[in-house]
Amino acid sequence: MLPESSRHRIRVTVNGQVYEREVEARLLLSDFLRYELGLTGTHVGCEHGVCGACTVQLDGQPVRSCLMFAVQADGREIRTVEGLAPDEERLHPIQEAFWEAHGLQCGFCTPGFLMTVEAFLRENPDPTDEEIREAISGNLCRCTGYVNIIKAVRLAAEKLRAGR
Amino acid sequence: MKPPRFRYFAPTSVDEAVELLSTHADAAKVLAGGQSLVPMLNLRLARPEVLVDINRIESLSYLRVEDGHLAVGALARHRMVEKAPEVAARVPVLQEAVRHVGHVQIRNRGTVTGSIVHADPSAEMPAVLALLDGSVRVVGPSGTRDIPWQELFLTYFTTTLGPDELAVETRFPLPPAGAGWSFMEVARRHGDFALVAVAALVTADETGRVKEARLSLAGVGGTPVRPERAEALLAGQALEDDVLAAVADAVREAIEPESDIHASAEYRRHVAGVLAGRALRAAMERARRGGEG
Amino acid sequence: MQIQGSVTFDAPPERVWELFNDPEALRRATPGCERLDKVGEDRYEAVMSVGVAAIKGTYKGTIEIRDKEPPHRYRLAIEGSGSPGFVNIDASMEFVPAGGGTQVNYSWDVQVGGPVAGVGQRVLGGVGRWLIGEFFKKMQAELRADAS
Repeated sequence: MLPESSRHRIRVTVNGQVYEREVEARLLLSDFLRYELGLTGTHVGCEHGVCGACTVQLDGQPVRSCLMFAVQADGREIRTVEGLAPDEERLHPIQEAFWEAHGLQCGFCTPGFLMTVEAFLRENPDPTDEEIREAISGNLCRCTGYVNIIKAVRLAAEKLRAGR
Repeated sequence: MKPPRFRYFAPTSVDEAVELLSTHADAAKVLAGGQSLVPMLNLRLARPEVLVDINRIESLSYLRVEDGHLAVGALARHRMVEKAPEVAARVPVLQEAVRHVGHVQIRNRGTVTGSIVHADPSAEMPAVLALLDGSVRVVGPSGTRDIPWQELFLTYFTTTLGPDELAVETRFPLPPAGAGWSFMEVARRHGDFALVAVAALVTADETGRVKEARLSLAGVGGTPVRPERAEALLAGQALEDDVLAAVADAVREAIEPESDIHASAEYRRHVAGVLAGRALRAAMERARRGGEG
Repeated sequence: MQIQGSVTFDAPPERVWELFNDPEALRRATPGCERLDKVGEDRYEAVMSVGVAAIKGTYKGTIEIRDKEPPHRYRLAIEGSGSPGFVNIDASMEFVPAGGGTQVNYSWDVQVGGPVAGVGQRVLGGVGRWLIGEFFKKMQAELRADAS
């Protein structure tokens, strides 16, 4: 006999907007974002913490949204890929850099990369290639072979430094 | 929904958590960083009826240097340990090892104490606990006790922690001043669990010989291993090739690795000996420079 | 997966044979064994609760003692299943006189399937060896308790 699943009322800020919902305890944060809030930019790959596609920022730090329950985000701030671009016309400098340097092909892994890289460049605005490789080691890409992603991160760092 | 159904509790104090654990005992599982537990839930390997989430017990999120120990609270994330200046200054081998744990996304959530009581023998944190002769402080219905690492780990993923006990702190004794250290591992990919990991701690005398050496290995059996005979062989020795060859043999003798799809037992055994030699040399190098960097 | 080894007992094979046919001793020595009920000649039903990491589970199954050659050898056929998966074991146990005591040589052929197999061969092998080790340790303790 399976136990009853408990339900909980939560209040979460996602990309600056406050959402209140009642969720089942076992609802993953990734599924909450996609199914409850319709924010399908967060992609779901392996669902056991290996691929990094579902990376979002929790209070500014990258985490795997498939390894957290929505109920655990109660009172916290989440940022997803939808929260990167300043408006509908313009892209975030990191998104521009990925576009310009061909840092994506199919694009499935890209939101996870972007959310990882955004936090990384805030901490380390002028990284070496070695540091970039280390920073993105928790995100898998099956198309690009990573070379252009590393170029894109380098370009993004330049753009962000120039914009300061 | 992927995980099986469970009842969820988020206590805000240790007492409340322990009470929940003693009420639900075997049916309950503690959720800390969740970086090992949630994958098992998503795959429905684990089916606890009750989850006791300790993430709201803010008093457990700390690092302190006190009475010759680094005390790491149960909610201290790997990332907190990685970045803490007191860890870099006082227990650099822990800082080096923690960088090998998963990736930044994992380290932002995963906890050092959670990794230790999860008791994956391929994990880095249990090996460092063994290297430093550390212990885990647990609170249960009858009070607080410290479990030394030798009494903590039974086999793969199995500890002597009772179902109604909560690990609240990991205690790493500070290494002696001037000790050299090293942490090395071989893994299939960066951030993976180690096929074999070796941690070493060495103090040297004025002539550059070993005063005391410690080795600790992960990935080579059901628990972290301190190869005692290898350590004893090193006392008073210079790290010459023949000494290191004898040490490598003693290390290989002390371990019982298993084969799996990632590596055969023979390979793990071989690598353990090689890494032990490299780690000792690197640790000695640091010891000669007075334990710095 | 094959798990084999040998353990020495400080009693002659006749006494060790008796011990290894005593359902109460077997129940007490088997890690996590909650029940062991005789349901026929050399046939038992068992309930065992075993946990590896967060994969705790209760297994129900049957244990049959076969091919008895007292006091030299027998085979155990164990079939169990529970929510984490199933286990089938074909174990041979041999009781060989050694000095004044007995050497028990065992060879367990263990098949594990279902979700629990997902933890991987390395872990299952390690835990299997550990559980069997615990069993023999407790059987030695049973013998000592009996002698004192």
